[in-house]
Formats: sequence, structure tokens, C-alpha cells
Amino acid sequence: MGQIAFRGLFKNAKTVKLSSAQFASLNVQMGARMRATTLRFYKERILRVLVEIQRRLDEPLPLVELARLAGLSPHHFHHVFTGMLGEPLKAHIRRLRLERAAGRLKLSRLPVVQVALEAGFETHEAFSRAFHASFGCSPTQFRRRNGDPARLAAVSGVHYHHSAQVRDFRAARRVRKIMNVKIQQLKPTVVAFMRHVGPYDQVGVTWDELLTVLGKEGWLGGPAQFIGICHDDPAVTLSNKVRYDACVTVDGNFRGQGGVSTQTIPGGDYAVMTHFGPYETLGESYAKLLGQWLPRSGRSLRTTPCFEIYLNSPESAEPEDLITDIHAPLEPQ
Amino acid sequence: MNEKNMKTTTQKLDLYQLHKQEYLAPKRPVLLSTTPAQYLSIRGQGAPGGPRFIECIGGLYGVAFTVKMTRKFAGQGDYAICKLEAQWFFEDHKAEKPKDEWVWNLLIRTPDFITETGRKQAVAVLLKRGKPPEVEEVRLETINEGRCVQMLHVGPYEKERETIAVMRLFAEQQGYQFTGAHHEIYLSDPRRVPAERLRTILRHPVVASKIAP
Repeated sequence: MGQIAFRGLFKNAKTVKLSSAQFASLNVQMGARMRATTLRFYKERILRVLVEIQRRLDEPLPLVELARLAGLSPHHFHHVFTGMLGEPLKAHIRRLRLERAAGRLKLSRLPVVQVALEAGFETHEAFSRAFHASFGCSPTQFRRRNGDPARLAAVSGVHYHHSAQVRDFRAARRVRKIMNVKIQQLKPTVVAFMRHVGPYDQVGVTWDELLTVLGKEGWLGGPAQFIGICHDDPAVTLSNKVRYDACVTVDGNFRGQGGVSTQTIPGGDYAVMTHFGPYETLGESYAKLLGQWLPRSGRSLRTTPCFEIYLNSPESAEPEDLITDIHAPLEPQ
Repeated sequence: MNEKNMKTTTQKLDLYQLHKQEYLAPKRPVLLSTTPAQYLSIRGQGAPGGPRFIECIGGLYGVAFTVKMTRKFAGQGDYAICKLEAQWFFEDHKAEKPKDEWVWNLLIRTPDFITETGRKQAVAVLLKRGKPPEVEEVRLETINEGRCVQMLHVGPYEKERETIAVMRLFAEQQGYQFTGAHHEIYLSDPRRVPAERLRTILRHPVVASKIAP
């Protein structure tokens, strides 16, 4: 990945890179072009889900089902939810269950162990620990105290309501830092790839194998790009089922061999955001792009997967110096 | 692309680690001894960041990757590709030459067990793939710098002049004078690191000063 890493070594190199990639780019800054209509579109969908969660708080509430209710793919739904609510789905459900439990402690005479079970905890101890961590006192102490609200801090302003009334919420928004998102028009790209199925943090093994096979054949010279296609979101998929394609751009002469095949990444409009830092924190950037930028952009997502372009290599750069361009496919305007 | 994973599953040879004492990056100039080192290299002329410069970097990395992966694929062991280095040739340090006339030799330190046969093979494979012709200009060379003055430069590349002046003065005080080519080892990625925090090791070979008549 080094030749990519050093293409930008000196300032002028950037221009070379842009022109060779042959895309026009249009800079849209978060906040500058907030679109009320799309924000409302996403809010309505998420609201539907929020009501459903409150109605069926005792049920398992699988993500796939809630995503379907919102009319979004599980991957995108997870990021939109986290980005807009300011907390991931699981944390949201857990918070509501704890708030409901706190209310029941106050308003009923149910034994603590029963409240614990109803809140989805398997033991009294687990419940007490979680309760203490959130409310700062034990369930029994909380029951005795007067005036403590059965609510936990939430940027969205959404709390447990006994008749599942959620009329509105505050969409989380990053105001301090300007989010740099570009819209790029990409041409279809042919890549050689190997598929990894399993924990996301083990994709390094697949990369190693792919780069060795392609490297000895001379495919890594010149303008080859290193791309990761994420078919599943590691945050919401069972870790042994995450599908990820390690890809290197090739030309039409490439013939598959030794577990390496080819595919074409579709062209079209992409929202592109650069992630600086370790791969472990990529999820946070996805949440910002899909959960905060997208709902205000006036654009909507295509159903093709997101992909990542790695601009440098973990072999030559420290984790905090890694640079990754996240690409989210957009419907044409 | 988990970094931990990539490091623990394979025991890689790291030349910078092996020759630690040659990659000191002190804030004040020091004298140190270097051993002969083998590099993949490509020479050229032109402004840093200009088209020729970029093509040469591409060609150099292309060969470096192909040589490494061929060996790895054959089960002959793995090694980390070292950072980019460069020699800069100035006839007169005091004269400001136009950037287009700058002459340089881009380097990637490469293990001694890589031979001319390996380089030729890699070049042939890359040309067969239709990669840019610069790969053919990549050479395998051993540079012996011997005794050097070395110092870390922090800041934009344009401000190296001041650091070089400090190094030269230090060399003279120690009874040495500059000889051969100015050498740079790029520790930072300029896209990630702001210009004022870029870290570059500057090295200059020295010889004992001639006694004044």
C-alpha cells in the first residue's frame, strides 16, 4: 500500500491523484445545506421504530425487524439510528427498560427481583449492578428516596412512557466540528478480491493472502487502490457471519486464480468522508456519515454496499495515522 | 486490516528495528556510524511532487512490493517494507536552484538477501502487466555512508535549510566536514500530519576536516 501512501507525500501529488481517479467532486459541508425534508423523512421512519420499541419493550426486538419497519437495510438503519438518537439501538432499549424498572420501583410494591426479571435481567445482581451504574444508587435505595425522576440522561429527549407515546425527538447533531463530506461521481471499478467471512478484526489474514498472490504477479505496482467492501455491519451482525471483500483495483486482463475472483464496484454518486485513525473506530465515522450527514443532505442511499479505500497501510503507519475514505452509495439526484 | 493481527500472525523482519542505532532521531545533531546498506532506488530530476517524482515513487514501490510478495509466496519469509528515503544532490548548498533542476535518488531499504535476480524478475512481471516504464529504472544498490551527522527535522520540508545549517556547524566543531549527498528519511505522512509537525530524519556523511595550511 506504500505507493499509495506516498502519492500524496508532497502537496502537488494530491492533484495528480484526483485527476487520475477521474471524478468530479463537490464539497458539501454539514450544516451549510441542511435539508428539512430529508431530515423529516428519516425522523418519521425512526419515530415509527421508537414507538414500536416502547410498545414491545418485553420482547427481544431484533434489529432486522426494526430496520424493516423503518424501511432501511439493517446496516444503514443501525447507523441512522445511532447517529440520530446519539445512542446505539441496544443501549436505547436497555435505557428504556431501566427507566421503566425505576418507575415500577417507585409506583408499585413489586419485589426488586421481579422488577429485575421484567427489565430483562436474568439475576437480581446483574440488575442491581446495571441500575447502580445508571442511577447511582441501589434499586432499594432508589425506591425509598423521594423525588428522584425515573429518567436517565438522553440527548434525544426520548424516555420511557407507559402508553408508548413518542411524538418527537431531538436529532443528535455535531455542531462543534464541521464534517467534511464530498459527493463524488465514480466510474465502475473492476477489482480482484477475496471474501472474508468471520470476525471483522481478522480481515488482516485475508488481506495478507490477497496481497501475496497479487503482489507476486505484479498487480500492486502503479496506481492500484486497496478497497474493503463491507456487506455486513460488524456492529449488528454475528461476528462469524460478517462478509467483507478485500479488493485491489485491476484492469480487464486479470484472470481469477487461487481463491481470487473479480467483481465490479458500481459507479455513480458516492458520499465520501475521510476517517483518520485506527480501523477499530471506523464505526463512529459511519454513524456520523449515515446518521448525521445523510438525513440532512437531501440525498438518499442506494442499496449497494458501502466501501472503504485505504490510503495507507497498517504496516507502515501507526494506527492513529491511518487514513481511510468511507464511500456511501447515493441514489441519483 | 487489524494491525495487531497482522503483526502477531507473522514474524516479520524489520530493518529499522534491526539497525536501530542508524535511525536515531535526536533533537540535537549527533555523530554516528552507519554500515553499508542495500536499497531499491530510482534516480531522477524535477520538483518534489512533480509528475516525474510521483511516477518514480510508483515504480519504486511497485518493484518493492513485487519482490517482497514473490519471496513471501514462495514461503521464503516476510519482511516489512521500510519507509521512503531520498538522497538529494546539490552542488552548492548556498545557491537556491530552481526546483525543476533538483536531482534526487529515491530509496527503500531492502534486506541483503534480495538479489539482482529477484529485482529483474519483479521488473519483468511488472512490465508484463503493463505497469509504467519507470519500474525498469529501479536499481538495487548498496550505499556506504560511514560516519554521518544526523538530526531530526520537525516542520515543513521547506525549512530544512535551518536544520542543515545546525548540522554543518556541529560537524565543523567536531572536526569534520560534509561530504557526499544529503539524505532524508521520511517518518511522517504529510497528508495526515500538519506541515509544522512533519518529522524527517536528516543525515549527512562527513569526513575529517583537512588541517588548515
